[in-house]
Amino acid sequence: MAGRKLRRAQLSQEMCERLSRYQITTCQDFLCLSLLELMKVTGQSYYEVQKLLCKVSRACAPKMQTAYEMKLRKSVNPSSAFLSTTLHSLDRVLHGGVPCGSLTEITSPPGCGKTQFCIMLSVLATLPVSMGGLDGAVIYIDTESAFSAERLIEMAANRFPTYFDSDEKLLCMTRSIHLYRELTCCCVLKRIMSLEEEIISKKVKLIVIDSVASVVRKEFDTKLQGNLTERSNFLTRGASALKYLAEEFSIPVILTNQITTSLSSGPAIQADLVSPADDLSLSE
Amino acid sequence: MQREVGTLPLAPALRARLAAAGFQTAQELLDTGPCGLSKEIGISREEALEVLQVVRQECHGDAARTAGGSGATRKCTALELLEEEQSQGFIITFCSALDNILGGGVQLTKITEICGAPGVGKTQLCMQLAVDVQIPECFGGVAGEAVFIDTEGSFMVDRVADIAAACVQHCHLIAEAQQEEDLRKALETFSLENILSHIYYFRCRDYTELLAQVYLLPEFLSEHSKVRLVVIDGIAFPFRHDFEDLSLRTRLLNGLAQQLIIIANDHKSAVVLTNQMTTRIGQSQSTLVPALGESWGHAATVRLIFHWDNSQRLATLYKSPSQKESTIAYHITSHGFRDVQPPAVTHSTEGTEPNPRKRPRTEEEKQ
Repeated sequence: MAGRKLRRAQLSQEMCERLSRYQITTCQDFLCLSLLELMKVTGQSYYEVQKLLCKVSRACAPKMQTAYEMKLRKSVNPSSAFLSTTLHSLDRVLHGGVPCGSLTEITSPPGCGKTQFCIMLSVLATLPVSMGGLDGAVIYIDTESAFSAERLIEMAANRFPTYFDSDEKLLCMTRSIHLYRELTCCCVLKRIMSLEEEIISKKVKLIVIDSVASVVRKEFDTKLQGNLTERSNFLTRGASALKYLAEEFSIPVILTNQITTSLSSGPAIQADLVSPADDLSLSE
Repeated sequence: MQREVGTLPLAPALRARLAAAGFQTAQELLDTGPCGLSKEIGISREEALEVLQVVRQECHGDAARTAGGSGATRKCTALELLEEEQSQGFIITFCSALDNILGGGVQLTKITEICGAPGVGKTQLCMQLAVDVQIPECFGGVAGEAVFIDTEGSFMVDRVADIAAACVQHCHLIAEAQQEEDLRKALETFSLENILSHIYYFRCRDYTELLAQVYLLPEFLSEHSKVRLVVIDGIAFPFRHDFEDLSLRTRLLNGLAQQLIIIANDHKSAVVLTNQMTTRIGQSQSTLVPALGESWGHAATVRLIFHWDNSQRLATLYKSPSQKESTIAYHITSHGFRDVQPPAVTHSTEGTEPNPRKRPRTEEEKQ
């Protein structure tokens, strides 16, 4: 909505032309100016400028909903609110499973089973709704080249032998898991930004990113000047893009993270003071 | 009437023309009349008439202000302010320790900022306040409605429903204990459905949407005059990325703070903001400080910092014009934001190392 051109905010043609002479073409440019600057740029009086501000704001502002409407909408379709992990105690603690419409982070020291968990969730997402799945495709962004297709088939065949009774069913399942190998932060971000169309065309119901920490720690050395801000910039942009996708399509998004050391008392070492590392909901 | 022409809120081009023609005070404009004005500076008669109307409106406003009436700047004595403050309600938080250090609860007409690391309970408190603002007056509440502006997507309707149900139950218990008619009558309208319908939710995805929404808030609040609480959950999140120009960010944040202060005062509502924490790397050590920089620290009137101490959540009143700095402990239960109960049951950690950032559930919560 920020990049919306002023033309579509229902401003008059001549006003838009006048503003474009000052390089103000989007709603974002317009709203970032102060009132005095706006008066100078539009040549209008104080009260007129306030009316224009309201018009442009109305074009960008989000729609209002009451909490009650949100609750009603959720209760219409309760089964689609979670992806059950089939681990009963975990499902109980999570009140149903991995929630749809928000980001879930899985963190552990190496070798505990994050990638295995992600592979299993991918299988579960492709199952039909009657078996507790989401009956959809999966987008798997792999940054560590840890995904093994053989392991995927082994898991599916052993876990659900009655459902995956033929090779054809297994192949059908593997066809709906789309794997992307991205090795740099830039590529990961670009891939996340391009996901919207893929989700619609391939009917994706789960996004897995395994793992965020490896690319970030490879590229950003927090001991160097300026890297901290760039890293948090990358993380928050990725986070807001993923949140938008999760909420817009009501699908779960799973991210994996690594562990770092939190040094509670130590001078001069610029370690991450808040662990787990590279927490996507907090930065720096 | 002696007001200078350059200070009138006219279009800049018009002001330049008036100055070039030699007009200095507003009185001169009024004396010239619309036809004379249009001939002298070369504008149409309708435009000249508009100019004169603006001048009259401004001068009227000035006169009203100097006479001590209500206008853009209010003048009143400290005694009047004291009476106003004493009659004003507070929005309680259901954690009596927190209410005590705040002086009664979250104050109306003030901006309260809640800072803390992720997972410490900021959004929980915001959801609790969105429910508590609706408590009827006979139970000690303000009987208002709430606007919830969410920038991080952490608003969970089911959790709000749980908190609201617990609040309604609490009020029912009070009504039964006191057996008064008006309490019971108030409870008829204080139901889960009503509470949820009076929380107005806006999801802002980036700072442009947030700015736009705050520009439109005064209009929204005049339509919904019962709103007594505006929550912006996550004021830091949209401003922490995509900003190469930090001075622009400071300017936008200051503008936002000004608008929120005006909204808080004009509509007699409390404004609650949540902020993130960032690491400030000093000479010999690094500390966690509220995000968005030093200048943002001046925006809020009251600042609360939530933090952990091993496995206990603590709230520190960091900045307040009327209360002293203190720290209390609080709980997040399935009913919402509550006091820490005196430790009646010692809970075992079952042999596993407790995570210092999350506390284990106690017996009472297992239900």
